[in-house]
Amino acid sequence: MAKKWIYALEELGQEHLELVGKKCANLGEMTKLGMRVPPGFAISVDGFEKYMQVTGLGKRIESYFASQGDELKKSIQRQMDASRVVKDLIAATPLPEAMAEEIEKNYEALCRRCGEAELPVAVRSSGSVSMPGQMETYLYVRGSSEVTRRVLEVWESTFNTRAIAFRLEKGMPVDKAPIGVAVIKMVNAKSAGVVLTVVPTNGDEDNVVIEGNWGLGESVVSGDITPDNFIVNKANLDIERKLSKKTKWVVATGNGTIKADVPLHLQEMPCLEDEEIRELVRIALNVEKHFGVPQDMEWVVDRDLPFPENVIWVQARQAKYIPKRKDADADYLVDQMTRLFRR
Amino acid sequence: MANVNVQHRAAKLSTAVPGFEFDEEADLAQSPAWFLDGTHSVPPWTPLFGWFWINFCRHGMQYGAEMLSLPTVKGWDWRFKNGGGYLTLLLVKTEAEQRQREQRFRVAIRPFIDDYDGLWRSQLDEMLGLYQGLKKLDLDKASNIEVLDNFEQTINVCRRMWEVHMYMMYGTYTAYILFENMCRELLGIDDTHPLFHKLITGFDNKVLQVDKTIWEFSQKASKLGLAEVILHSEPKDIVAKIEAAPNGHAFMESFRAFLNEDGWRMQRMSEMNLPTWIEDPAPPLINLKQFLVKGGGFNLEAEREKVSKEREAAEKEVLAKVAPEQRGWFTTLLRLAQKSGVFSEEHDHYLDLYTHAMMRRSALALGRRLAGGGAIDSAEDIFFIIPDEIRKAAINPDQFNLRPIVATRRAQWQEWCKTPNPPVILKEGFDMDQAMGVLVKSNDPIALKVVVGSMPVVRPELKADLHGTCGSPGVTEGLARVIMSEDQLADVQPGEILIAATTSPSWTPVFSFIKGVVVDRGASLSHAAIVGREYGIPVLMNVFVGTQQIRTGQRIRLDANMGALYILDK
Repeated sequence: MAKKWIYALEELGQEHLELVGKKCANLGEMTKLGMRVPPGFAISVDGFEKYMQVTGLGKRIESYFASQGDELKKSIQRQMDASRVVKDLIAATPLPEAMAEEIEKNYEALCRRCGEAELPVAVRSSGSVSMPGQMETYLYVRGSSEVTRRVLEVWESTFNTRAIAFRLEKGMPVDKAPIGVAVIKMVNAKSAGVVLTVVPTNGDEDNVVIEGNWGLGESVVSGDITPDNFIVNKANLDIERKLSKKTKWVVATGNGTIKADVPLHLQEMPCLEDEEIRELVRIALNVEKHFGVPQDMEWVVDRDLPFPENVIWVQARQAKYIPKRKDADADYLVDQMTRLFRR
Repeated sequence: MANVNVQHRAAKLSTAVPGFEFDEEADLAQSPAWFLDGTHSVPPWTPLFGWFWINFCRHGMQYGAEMLSLPTVKGWDWRFKNGGGYLTLLLVKTEAEQRQREQRFRVAIRPFIDDYDGLWRSQLDEMLGLYQGLKKLDLDKASNIEVLDNFEQTINVCRRMWEVHMYMMYGTYTAYILFENMCRELLGIDDTHPLFHKLITGFDNKVLQVDKTIWEFSQKASKLGLAEVILHSEPKDIVAKIEAAPNGHAFMESFRAFLNEDGWRMQRMSEMNLPTWIEDPAPPLINLKQFLVKGGGFNLEAEREKVSKEREAAEKEVLAKVAPEQRGWFTTLLRLAQKSGVFSEEHDHYLDLYTHAMMRRSALALGRRLAGGGAIDSAEDIFFIIPDEIRKAAINPDQFNLRPIVATRRAQWQEWCKTPNPPVILKEGFDMDQAMGVLVKSNDPIALKVVVGSMPVVRPELKADLHGTCGSPGVTEGLARVIMSEDQLADVQPGEILIAATTSPSWTPVFSFIKGVVVDRGASLSHAAIVGREYGIPVLMNVFVGTQQIRTGQRIRLDANMGALYILDK
C-alpha cells in the first residue's frame, strides 16, 4: 500500500510538526483541545517528496542547483534566475494523475461533509519552520482542479527568491524544502480577528485583548484598519469596549477576496456580541491554560451557524509580547514618590 | 529673698521634660513657628505622660524620616509648654543634601511597595512580642528592683513603638499622597471627592472588629436578661449593677476575658491618667449600653458589605479611565493607598493605645511601691513625677519624700488645665499664612495628611452657615451633640450628629449609631474620616469653628459632598 500523504485535521497533533508543518499540526492540536476549527485536510511533506520523485523533477532540480555551484551564493541576480527556472519547471510539470485523484477524493469528501458542492476552501502553506517568502495563502478556492493548482503553487513558493536566499544564507540544502499544505473550509465570516491572552505592549497577563472587524480576518491581521478593541478582565470577565468606525472590510468574491467598503449601518456597530466575546475568552483561557503560556489566536464568527457553533478558530500560537519587567511598576512608583518631594 | 528662692525652686521642679521645655528666645531663633499638637495634647498632659511623648514621639519622627531618608524633611522637633506639645519641622537645608537623601530614599521606600503587608506584620509582631515580655512580670509579687526594671523596659518599648510608628507612617502616607496626586492627574479628583473615598473604603480593621465584639456582647446581654439593668445604669455604677444581677457575674467574666485580649487601651488616646478598659470596663460597657439603646442590628456588617461593593464598582470605574499600560502601577498604588486607612486605625490600636496601657500598668506598679514606702501619697501621684525622680526612690521608697514635687507639679498641671495653650507660637513678624506655607513646602507627608489637610472652599451660592471639606460623603440632618472630651461620650444619643474638635479610636463605637460627624480639624487620613467612611456616615472636616458655633440640641443639616453645614434653628 502506498504511503499515506494526506491526513484529516482530526488525525493530527503537535507531534506531527515535521510531517505536516506547523499550521496543520496546530489545527490538529486545536481539534484535540475541543476547539471548533474549520474542517479540512493536510497534505504532508511526503506529498511534496512524492511529486518530486514520481515526476523526476527532484533530480532535475538537484542537478540544476549542482551546476550553479558556489556562484549562486554570491549573486542575487543568479538567485532570481534560479527561482524563475525552477518555478517554470514546476509549472510545466503537472501533478501525476494518481496524486491529483487523491487530492480530488479528499476535497470531494470535504464538500460532502460540509454539504456544499464546489465548497470554497483556503489553501495555505504549512512549513515546519517559519521561512521568509513561504507564506502563501489562497482564499475562496473552489473546485478540485483549482485546489490542485493552488497546492502546486504552494510547493512552488518554496523556490521564491527570498526562500532560496534564506536557505543559502543559513547553509540549508537549497535544492529542496518540503512543505505541508492545509486545505480547509472557508468560513463564511460575519466577523473575524485576533485574541491575545496578554496585553502585547506591556505584558499585562490579567487581561485578554480581542481585536476584530467585519468580514474576513485579513483586514485585522494586516493592520490596515483600526479594528474594534475589547479588553476583558480574566478574573471577573468584565468587558471594556473601544469601538472604532470600521470603514473597510475584506469580503469574498466569486473566486477570491477583495477589500471593500463596510455598509454604513455596520460601521459603528460592535463586530462581536457579548456572548461571542465571552465564548472567545473562555476558549482562549482554556488554551492558554493548556499550553501554560499566553496565546495569540485567530478567530472567525460564522454567519450561517448558530451560537456557539459559529465561533471558529483558525490559529493558536504562543503570543509574542513585551514581557512585563518584574520591577517596572515598582521602579516607576519609586520615581514618582521621589518626585513628590521635589515640588 | 526667701520668696525668690521658692519660685526658683518651683521653676526648676516644673521642668517635666528636661531639655525640651519651651524656651521662647532660643526656640524661636531655631524656628519661627511652633504648632500646638491639638489632637494629642489638649487637654494638657500630665508631666509623666508629657515626658514620654515629647522624648519619644520626637525621637520616632526623626528616626522615621532618617530611616526613609525623606529628601526634604528630617522629621519634627518638639517642645513641652504648660502640658502642651509644640512642634516644628526640621527641614533639609541645601539642595545638595536633598539630592543625596533622594538616593537613599529610593532604596529605603522600596519595601513599602514590594511587600507592605509583610513589613507591617513584622513590625507588629515585634511590638506584640515586646508587650508580652512586659506583661510576663507579676507586678504584685515582683521585687522593687524588678518593678523598676519593668519600668525601664517600658521606656524602651515606648521608644521602639515610636520608631515603628513614624517609620511606617511616613512610608505609608508617602504612598497615599502619591495616589492622591495620581488621581488628580489621571482622573481629576482629589481626596475630598466622594469617588476617591469609595476607592479606599470597605476594609476591616482591628478597631472595627473590637466594636463589633462589643455589639455581640450587647446581644448576649439581651439574651441573658441583662438589658434592663444595663439600660438603667450609669458609668459609675454599671459594673456593680451587672455583677449583682442574675447571670451578671458570668457575663462580666466573659466580658473581662475579651478585655484581657483587646482591652489594652486608654479612655483617652494620648494620656495615661485614666484607667484602661481592663481596669475599668465602664467605658466599653457604656458603648454596649448605647448599642442597646439604639436597638436593632449592628449596622456595620451590612454597611461594610455595601461600602465594599461600592468600592469594587468605584475601582472598575476608575480603572476603565486609566490607560492599560498604566494599570499595573496604578493598581499597586491603589492597594497601597487602601492600606493607609487600615494602617491609620490599626496603628492606634496596636501602637499608641497598647503602649500607653503598658506605660500605665508599669507606672502604677511603681506608684504603688512608692506610696507603700511613703515617698508619695497615692499610686496615681506617679503621673506627676518623671523617670529621674522615680529612679531616685524606686528601690528604697521608704528613704525619700517626693510629696513636695508631686504637690507643686499637680498645682501647675491644674493651672495648665484652666487656660488653653495657644494653637501656634510665632516669632514676631511671622504670620500664620507663612507658617502654613512652611508646612506645605516641607512636603512632609504627616504635615500634609494629618496636620494641615485641605482648606475648605467657601461657596457663597450655597448660603451655608459653615464650610468644611468632605471626609466621608453623604447628606444628613439631625440634632447636634457637641463633645469636647472622651468622658462626655456617654452622653451621645443614637441619631445625633457629633460635633468635636477631633476624634480618636476611643470614640469609634459611637460612630455606629450617629448620623454624621463635624470636626474642627482633620484630613482624609484622620480618624473621623476613616471611620465615618467605614460606617457610611457623612463627615465634614476642617470646619475650624464648629465646636464654637454649634450648640448641643440645635438642628443642623450636613452636606459633606458640598462641604456645607446649615444651622436650621439659630
